[in-house]
Amino acid sequence: MPQIEIKELTKIYSIGDQEIKAVNNISLNIDKGEFISIVGHSGSGKTSLVSIIGGIMRPSSGHVFFNGQDICALDDDRLSEYRNEKIGFIFQFASLLPMLTSRENVMLPGLFRTTPQPGDDARALQYLDLVGLGDKAEAYPSQLSGGQQRRVAIARALMYEPQMVLADEPTGDLDEETEAEIMGLFSKLNREHEITFILITHNLELAGMAGRRLRMTRGELVTV
Amino acid sequence: MLNKFTRASFSARNLRRKPLRTIILIIAIASLVSALVFSLSFVARVALGIKIASERLGADILVVPAGSRGAAEDVLLENKAKSFYMDRGMMERVRAVKGIDKMTFQTYLTTMQGKCCDVPETVVVAFDQDTDFLIKPWLTEKFNRRLDKGEALVGNESAFNIRVGLVEVDSVLFGNVFKMVGVLDKTGTGLDNALFIDSSNLDDIIRKGSADLRPNQISIIFLKVKQGLDPYKVAGEIEDAIVEVDTMARKDIGKSIITVLRDIGSIFIFTMALISLLSAFLTWAIFSAIANERAREVGIMRAIGAREKHIVAVFLFEVLIVGTIGSIIGILVGTASSILLAKSFSIMKNLPMHMGIMQRIIIASAGFVAGNAVCIAGALAPIQKIKKMEPLMAIKKE
Repeated sequence: MPQIEIKELTKIYSIGDQEIKAVNNISLNIDKGEFISIVGHSGSGKTSLVSIIGGIMRPSSGHVFFNGQDICALDDDRLSEYRNEKIGFIFQFASLLPMLTSRENVMLPGLFRTTPQPGDDARALQYLDLVGLGDKAEAYPSQLSGGQQRRVAIARALMYEPQMVLADEPTGDLDEETEAEIMGLFSKLNREHEITFILITHNLELAGMAGRRLRMTRGELVTV
Repeated sequence: MLNKFTRASFSARNLRRKPLRTIILIIAIASLVSALVFSLSFVARVALGIKIASERLGADILVVPAGSRGAAEDVLLENKAKSFYMDRGMMERVRAVKGIDKMTFQTYLTTMQGKCCDVPETVVVAFDQDTDFLIKPWLTEKFNRRLDKGEALVGNESAFNIRVGLVEVDSVLFGNVFKMVGVLDKTGTGLDNALFIDSSNLDDIIRKGSADLRPNQISIIFLKVKQGLDPYKVAGEIEDAIVEVDTMARKDIGKSIITVLRDIGSIFIFTMALISLLSAFLTWAIFSAIANERAREVGIMRAIGAREKHIVAVFLFEVLIVGTIGSIIGILVGTASSILLAKSFSIMKNLPMHMGIMQRIIIASAGFVAGNAVCIAGALAPIQKIKKMEPLMAIKKE
């Protein structure tokens, strides 16, 4: 059974009288531990697709099954639990909370867990070390560069070892060296922990590192 | 040492991000609560003062000259200098009414400093020691004898007013020298500010001509009815039999003040409702702004697993922090104002302090609940709106 099974997924936005199909009747299976990249122009529907898979947006029609469970049918509490425990999000914009330190931002998902896990502080520091920011644990986002903020967000997404990471342009602000380190980390986690990765990128070179490459055009998905 | 990271500290930090806005909100809530605590203290104190004063009076019925009910209340509750008289022969007519157990009278005189007396303006109560059942219970154990002619007792508060402080001081009252020989226990009525003399002194006072009083005049007849009888019924029978007098049953004492108090209470309620509405509106406006500013943050929190109830909890905790701080400040300011400004209101000037710690706690609790309730009511709509937003929509909201 695939980890993710997408069936006839459609998302329509209504803007005034106009209807825009951001996701157009997509069906797709993703196995556990796959590393998928999705490329496509701005507005092609990549973010909408990934947002529906991640449970932060509901589709207009169709279904997304995660390990056989239809996440589109979950109530808010169960869907939140799904996002918290199964998914790691890396957004394309600065997504740290400004009044929290790097360490606290990394620990933030733990604040919403039904069963808090001991040793979160140590784990947060460990993941900050992993992204090269061990010495910035008590720094606030305003004291970090854009690239450093992105790395903290990556540490947050990985902190609770999700089953799937949804990364929307995760290395956009990073220099080449850090970008390579992060991609290396993704590959390692994907390989060693069988974490599924869905990577949205404009960078064809990065997309090429994925096991399966997909392209989105006007809401439709094609294999590259 | 790492800082403890909890949902509570998370909310507190959110409030610290915009300290000025938080302070404005706290001041608004503090103003509301202080006004509420002050007005509740005012109304409760006056109402309670009147209730206790009437209970402590010791008589079931008061008989006063027709049209003098208000003046009698002024003297008894507030020690206001008032003169009202009727003929002493009225006592025999009252005694003829069935159901009376005890009866005594008092005559009230008003001192005027520099004119008749060397004490500040106050009420002098001439009472009949043979029939009295009102003053005796308040005589201290130290003074367990009859008052002689030329002797006076001072009310518990009056000792400060005339600055004798201690007894055995001579004062001139209506051209006669009186020796202050004792102090009454605190009665909790307007009589605490009065001076007391035996009615046998009235002839000498009238003779000196410095008081507006004629022979055989009295101010009030106090009655105790026989056990089991309804004072209202007896009072009605007295009024039916004697048209020259009015009666007041004990429970009716202070009725006119209570009516005024009810009006004051209505004004307070209206003012409070208005302030509450304004405070709730301010809270709504501020939390709407906060919700808009933090839409993306809320979206991010939702994306990483925050449930709707977590978002509500974060905002609600902020509201409660503001409400609690504002309410506590308001309670302190309101209570302090009610104590410090009490004597600025003539209605309270002479009423005894009867606010116990329990009453203060009840009023403070009401203020605390109201402060937080207004805060929550104001913030509820923005919180509901933000928690219902789809995470991605919240993230995209600018």
